[in-house]
Amino acid sequence: MKINRREFIKANAIAAAATVAGISVPVAASNLITNSEITKLKWDKAPCRFCGTGCSINVATMDDKIVATHGDINSPVNKGLNCIKGYFLSKIMYGKDRLTSPLLRMKDGKFDKNGDFTPISWDQAFDIMAVKVKATLKEKGPTAVGMFGSGQWTVQEGYAAVKLMKAGFRSNNIEPNARHCMASAVAGFMRTFGIDEPMGCYDDIEAADAFVLWGANMAEMHPILWTRVTDRRLSAPHVKVAVLSTFENRNFDLADNGMIFTPQTDLAILNFIANYIIKTNRVNKDFVNKHTNFRLGNTDIGYGLRPEHALEQKARNNSAGNTGGSEPMTFKEYAKFVSSYTAEYVSELSGVPVDKLNALAELYADPDTKVTSFWTMGFNQHTRGVWANNLVYNIHLLTGKISTPGNSPFSLTGQPSACGTAREVGTFSHRLPADMVVKNPKHRAFAEKIWKLPEGTVPPKPGYHAVLQNRKLKDGELNFYWVQCNNNLQAAANINEEVFPGYRNPKNFIVVSDPYPTVTAQAADLILPTAMWVEKEGVYGNAERRTQAWYQQVNAPEGARSDLWQLVEFSKRFITDEVWTKELLDKKPEYRGKTLFNVLFENGNVNKFPLTEIPKDRLNFESRDFGFYLQKGLFEEYATFGRGHAHDLAPYEIYHQGRGLRWPVINGKETLWRFKEGSDPYVKAGKGFEFYGKPDGRAIIFALPYEPAAESPDKEYDLWLSTGRVLEHWHSGSMTQRVPELYKAMPDALVYMNPDDAQKRNLRRGDLVKLISRRGEVLTRVETRGRNKPPIGLVFMPWFDASRLVNKLTLDATDPISKQTDYKKCAIKIEKV
Amino acid sequence: MKNLIMVSISLSLLILSFTLTAQAEEIATLRDGTAISEQKKPNFIPKIVNTDILHARNYPMQPPLIPHKIRNYQINLEVNKCLSCHSRSRTEDSQAPMVSVTHFMDRDGNFLAEVSPRRYFCNQCHIPQADIKPLVGNTFKDMHTLMKEKIRDMKVH
Amino acid sequence: MWKNILLNFWQTLRRPSLHYSLGFLVVGGFIAGIVFWGGFNTTLELTNTEEFCISCHEMRDNSYEELKTTVHFSNKSGVRATCPDCHVPHNWTDKIARKMQASKEVWGTIFGTIDTREKFLAARRNLAEHEWARLKANDSLECRNCHHFDYMDFTLQNTRAVEQHSTSLASGEKTCIDCHKGIAHELPDMQGVDGW
Repeated sequence: MKINRREFIKANAIAAAATVAGISVPVAASNLITNSEITKLKWDKAPCRFCGTGCSINVATMDDKIVATHGDINSPVNKGLNCIKGYFLSKIMYGKDRLTSPLLRMKDGKFDKNGDFTPISWDQAFDIMAVKVKATLKEKGPTAVGMFGSGQWTVQEGYAAVKLMKAGFRSNNIEPNARHCMASAVAGFMRTFGIDEPMGCYDDIEAADAFVLWGANMAEMHPILWTRVTDRRLSAPHVKVAVLSTFENRNFDLADNGMIFTPQTDLAILNFIANYIIKTNRVNKDFVNKHTNFRLGNTDIGYGLRPEHALEQKARNNSAGNTGGSEPMTFKEYAKFVSSYTAEYVSELSGVPVDKLNALAELYADPDTKVTSFWTMGFNQHTRGVWANNLVYNIHLLTGKISTPGNSPFSLTGQPSACGTAREVGTFSHRLPADMVVKNPKHRAFAEKIWKLPEGTVPPKPGYHAVLQNRKLKDGELNFYWVQCNNNLQAAANINEEVFPGYRNPKNFIVVSDPYPTVTAQAADLILPTAMWVEKEGVYGNAERRTQAWYQQVNAPEGARSDLWQLVEFSKRFITDEVWTKELLDKKPEYRGKTLFNVLFENGNVNKFPLTEIPKDRLNFESRDFGFYLQKGLFEEYATFGRGHAHDLAPYEIYHQGRGLRWPVINGKETLWRFKEGSDPYVKAGKGFEFYGKPDGRAIIFALPYEPAAESPDKEYDLWLSTGRVLEHWHSGSMTQRVPELYKAMPDALVYMNPDDAQKRNLRRGDLVKLISRRGEVLTRVETRGRNKPPIGLVFMPWFDASRLVNKLTLDATDPISKQTDYKKCAIKIEKV
Repeated sequence: MKNLIMVSISLSLLILSFTLTAQAEEIATLRDGTAISEQKKPNFIPKIVNTDILHARNYPMQPPLIPHKIRNYQINLEVNKCLSCHSRSRTEDSQAPMVSVTHFMDRDGNFLAEVSPRRYFCNQCHIPQADIKPLVGNTFKDMHTLMKEKIRDMKVH
Repeated sequence: MWKNILLNFWQTLRRPSLHYSLGFLVVGGFIAGIVFWGGFNTTLELTNTEEFCISCHEMRDNSYEELKTTVHFSNKSGVRATCPDCHVPHNWTDKIARKMQASKEVWGTIFGTIDTREKFLAARRNLAEHEWARLKANDSLECRNCHHFDYMDFTLQNTRAVEQHSTSLASGEKTCIDCHKGIAHELPDMQGVDGW
């Protein structure tokens, strides 16, 4: 046997150790540890921490540490695969700079907005937070208290936050970062179907004959779904892939028909397809007559900017009640409306050749082609994002290509629980669980009844949405602000003018909960160290309505506590009398003198399940600290909102067993295709299809025009700027930039530009440049090759890089209906430094 | 000796508290101590490691990192450049590692005669590395290290 | 009959000029020769530039656009390859032969054989095979105009490259194009291509 020097030494060391330990190691296997006591790994499952695909992960632990992660072979979502981020999940919790102690800005032993971050205890942290909340409530009332959460919160965390904010502090100023991500999709669903989330599921991929990608760079942002699309396209050669984007990206590698369009003209292309379907006489008349209505939407609805902005002064229909308004119309009127969107006109407007437009439209028009449309931020982060969503549904409804395998307008989600937490729990300023809204008195009463709270607890007026929260912070009208599970100072648009000034406004007290010292933490007054991912138990809901649960698998670093623990523990600091009015308490006098913890979480629902229900060998820091099975209690109370209301969830423990179920779950059976008789138990017999979100069971086809972007390039600011993500990093990079392998794969955010655009400005790859918009400047280096190939006139820069904050440039223009920011379009210029 | 230890402890505490205060304002590690209103001069675009020296994996299931440049490697409907070296039939000529056997499995776990199309886009899991130091350290311990610690502990007890 | 014509022609050539002096004829002929030859060569050289190649949009939007991101366009030392460096032989006879072939491309441009990206992609395998065959037949001559085997420093190459260059290339068993396909432009469907 040959053995080299190093192996020899290693083998000897192990043999020596084993001898002392009383283990006999066979000489031939001496450099291999064979004792099963030592080599045994504890395997468990958890959904991935990153995107909305919702892959299931097998997680191996050893000695309270994660040592390995890989794709779960038993999960129907990913069937054993992971993307590069998923494969490196093992390392995201072990960044060297994990926070383990609350840090408060202090000077001379006291809080000082301009002080230095100083370690304090959790008690001290909650003390100052409680002081600030109480003072704010007393001085300005509930509208001056706010919270910014996340589509990465667990369902239980989002639900606890909603209760604490909407019922406890009686403020609707709670928003998730999903407002930046999914709000246009939500409003699109509500407007067209009256109920949120996709009707189809990922099984559509294996059944489709054609895929159309509308502003969804799936190859990088939903890599595992992309493997399924790739599998389908390459295994079944008749399948076609059409890709639309404002610049060439990795999707184009699989595209049979790749199209680059001028930003914002997707609206015109969508209307052209509807026109093509009508003109070529391929409307599914039977479906349209039975299951749809036509409506003409309000136009000229503004750009969600501050009211004094010139564009808002000019807009006709930008008042709150007007933006989403519409009136009935006939099919004939609709056909006339879209008839001006001819191939020639739209080709001229969009820059897409006529034959490519026709080929695209034919995929939809051909009754024998099953089409799945995918979209994400290209549609949603759009000042007409809701319209774009409505318009793509038009096409699927005109042809009846919906709710059946392979025929699927599919809105993908960005975050792991944007659906589960942000949308289904309703952590938005206007929402309650299960698609209910605070404006509706019946919905409020329903919530108050489940929560066992006095009638009138939940305020009827929607709170500040995400972008408005930043404006109100700046204006000093929102004074206590708690940010959990997101990095909004890196993620929000127009950091310079609208976000940073608000965080540093002396009137405001900003709390940021995060595992790591992020950019947002740097702008905060108090930082709370947070437990993450499998350091806690939770539930996520993915883009195909799949609800997945996981157990806590390791302990958090000493001192770090989950967002859930923080929310529930903090509620102990308030007596109802301090936060509720006398009139409200008069309705339930027995709640006088009780803490918010008593009335919100010890209400007989949330504390219903004893600790004995937690498997003995399972960790569960929060439950063992509070004395009851907190996660189950929250989940079950939350589930009562949706059961019987087309949002049915299975009993909690079921989710710990399998790899998730797609709601509505009726009698233990998940629902794959909604609104279709036979596959959706909510559709009445004999109906065929039923869009039961609408009172008459009919979905709406909207006539909506092309309208220009809020800001377009001009002589001075001569380039479009599009921003977005990259494969190797999750969102702002606060986790993935701390994994050395991922950092080294994609260390810095470069500006991708066309080689001709670079040459014109006397630039070359690697040159240091200054990107300048009307709002700010950012330095970076030029990339003229690589995965993204922008056309002349457009540049792309990702936002994952904490040291190059591209959102200093972006404009905080939003869709006036959904209030979601358009991160894909603003005007900049580039100068050599 | 005892005094010396006390002195060095208090000295290191002093240094620690000093560094804590000094960095307190600009704590975002990934910004390298830069205020939000400022920006550090961006470093150069780094070179890609092209040594062909394999990196040890953090755990057996980790996809191997790419130890060479992949500039202009074409993977699209036409062709997959990576497979021109790493496919089973090409490895004798290329002496490159063969794609893992898992890559021949379809969604349902059946082995196919060729690499499964679901694995077609190599760069979804395999990435080259830039020649740079990490911005932040990572305290991840691999299973081998933990096992060695265990064996050592066994020795102690 | 042919014999008569040839004879007549020969006699005409032999007969002294009636109107022009010998000197004029010699000098004039010489100048005309220069002008003609110079013009021919200048035109030839003009068609031998990248500007000429990419004056057709087929080349500009496809081949040239793809070249821009590759190492043969932009690299460490700035020594770059232009279209003719790789696609036009440097010795005269081969060059003329190639030029005569290229007249077909001019025809193509006038009649729009490849006037869209789709047509280009459809034709790419065929076009590429011509170039591979040419380079295979001339032992990758245009590569070797810059990349001389004799002057390669193996200690500066990475191990993979050294392994291949020191064996297969050195022995003449393989030529550059055998392995280095698709280095300046994208590849077509490579089904059935040796080594893929």
